[in-house]
Amino acid sequence: MKKILVVEDDMPIRNLYKEELIDEGYDVVTAPDGVAGYELYRKEMPDLITIDIKMPNMNGLELLDKIRKEDKDIPIIIYSAYGEFTQNFSTWAADEYLVKSSDLTEFKNKVRELLFKK
Amino acid sequence: MTIEEQIKNYEHILRQYNIINQISRTVATTLDLNRILRIILTGVTFGDGFGFNRALLFLLDRGAKTLSGRMAIGPSSGEEAWTVWSEIQQSNYSLEEYLNSDKFDIQHKTSALDEQIKNIHIPIIPGKILSSCLEDGIPRNVDISGNYDNADPEKISDSSILETELLTYLDYPKFCVIPLISRAKKVGVLVVDNKFNQREITPDDINFLLMLSQFAASSIRNTIIYNDLKDSLAALGKLNNKLEFLKEYNEKIIESIPVSIIVMDHDFRVTLCNSNGEKLMGSAKENIVGKQIKKGLIFIDELDLFDEAARVMEEKRAEGFYKANIIMGNHERSDIFDITLVPFKFSEDTPEGVVIIIEDVTKTVTLEQSLMEAKRLSELGRLSATVAHEIRNPLIAIGGYANRTKKKYTENGRVNSEDLDIIIGEVARLEKIVNEILDYAAERKVEYKEIDIGKVLQECISLADTAAEQKKINISIECGGIFIENRKIIINGSADKLKQAFINVFNNAIEASETRDTVSICVQFEEDGDGKYIIVKVNNRAYLGSEEDIHSIFLPFYTTKSRGSGLGLTITKRIIEQHSGVIYVVSNIEIGTTFTIKLPLIRF
Repeated sequence: MKKILVVEDDMPIRNLYKEELIDEGYDVVTAPDGVAGYELYRKEMPDLITIDIKMPNMNGLELLDKIRKEDKDIPIIIYSAYGEFTQNFSTWAADEYLVKSSDLTEFKNKVRELLFKK
Repeated sequence: MTIEEQIKNYEHILRQYNIINQISRTVATTLDLNRILRIILTGVTFGDGFGFNRALLFLLDRGAKTLSGRMAIGPSSGEEAWTVWSEIQQSNYSLEEYLNSDKFDIQHKTSALDEQIKNIHIPIIPGKILSSCLEDGIPRNVDISGNYDNADPEKISDSSILETELLTYLDYPKFCVIPLISRAKKVGVLVVDNKFNQREITPDDINFLLMLSQFAASSIRNTIIYNDLKDSLAALGKLNNKLEFLKEYNEKIIESIPVSIIVMDHDFRVTLCNSNGEKLMGSAKENIVGKQIKKGLIFIDELDLFDEAARVMEEKRAEGFYKANIIMGNHERSDIFDITLVPFKFSEDTPEGVVIIIEDVTKTVTLEQSLMEAKRLSELGRLSATVAHEIRNPLIAIGGYANRTKKKYTENGRVNSEDLDIIIGEVARLEKIVNEILDYAAERKVEYKEIDIGKVLQECISLADTAAEQKKINISIECGGIFIENRKIIINGSADKLKQAFINVFNNAIEASETRDTVSICVQFEEDGDGKYIIVKVNNRAYLGSEEDIHSIFLPFYTTKSRGSGLGLTITKRIIEQHSGVIYVVSNIEIGTTFTIKLPLIRF
């Protein structure tokens, strides 16, 4: 079973992503900020990571940078409520950039695609 | 003396009188000082006249401290002397003919002798020859050649009393100094010599030179006085022109400046009205100037211009009305004016009048308004962008869970109550954000009345206690608790608003604290020259994190919490400021974060 790490500070959204991904048949671990996210990444060795950008302590872009320095291949989806982050080339290190939506279809499709490619 | 000798002598005297006569006639034709001087000096040197080789003129300066070389006539060398003489002799002119001829005008224009003398300035030193000659009015005949064989006791031979500047310049030991004095007024000195033909200067020569000198001195003096007078008149004329110009200039300025100027005297009679004033009053200048401004005629907003002008005259103090309306008769103008009344005195012996300056500021005011509107709109734009982001997270959660619920219901006809709880919770969160935005955006005025701030604080503290208990956080009243329990602390303000402000600060401190931390509240009183104040300090142990966070904490939609509108402290700050208070924050690792609120009191 593929394991996915969800790093998201907003609790209801974190739960929503977790439950939707569990329904899809994945094993899901979650973290509320970048610092906790990095610890779980080291501990749980996930197959894919999804990261929110705006978070307390360590933000999504910092976490993305930190993980990429250790692992160039792990699929990472970065998402945010802010569309303008695509302009920020820090986000290019991610495999996908998505704008947050209540419709998770695209998100789930991307997760499936990236895991299949791997 | 033989008859022949006597006749010869008379002829000589007659000729010299004749020369003086000719000189005086020619001098009378001009008022040009240089020309007069030249005529005199030419007369002295002319072969047919006195026939001196050289003649120099020094004039006393205005301050009577220096004799300055003014003009010299004569050749600068023997050779030149010969040429000049022969030329004049050939022409066979009489002195008067020569003086009136073109030749006179052409000659002497640039002679070396004349050029050099202009650089000679001899100070008046008593005892020296030029000075003493001018002092006693007696001519001096000088001979310092040291030729004692034909030494003449009448002549001065002591070279120590001679001005060296003069000796160097003359370069000849025999000369004569004639004072030029007119009616006891010293004018200057005339110096003559015979350097080139070396003829001795005789007492006869000196007598005639003295006769000439009196006439010369008075014409020189009169001409100088005349020229001075002419200069003064010219200067006066210029001054007059300048005054005229200034008057015109001022009038033009008053006419052209884009404000209305109306001047009235102490009798409320208009003495001046510029063209803008005409337009404003809606009548021609002729109908305004000279008329009295009466009570009940012109109003600035509700104030009668007459009363205001009277007050300005009495108090001798300017008065300004900004963005005011002018009402004349029944006619209220839609324009907006800045009006200034200034007390004004025409002269020492007239009573105070008033200058009324009226500036149409309609355009400025309109511009200000549109600028404010633009600013408000741009702020609104920025706010809406931030608001949109703030409500996006709850919307995504609501939408996501609604989709999930529908999917589950479709799959197995069941609804997960936990999912619905999340939807309900997120809707509550949205409501809270929307309420805060409405609160923030509302320009509701605070209804001020006297309230007991102690009671308000106690209510807020007990609410904070309940909230803190849930998070297992301890609230401690560090100081001042006894005050708010036992005394009435009266403030002018709104109890509801202040309650909101304090709860925001307390909740903020609780939410930022870790479990089992302490939030401490300290109430103090302060008094200074301006009044009494209540100071409330709220401290928690959490450090805000960075300078930037400390600076931005009161900005709208700025939040370090993952859940919050970012408006709480912004609203708090506004409420405190509406109550003429201040709020500020200090944060560092040692003490954590302390919010301080200071509010002015009516009494306690």
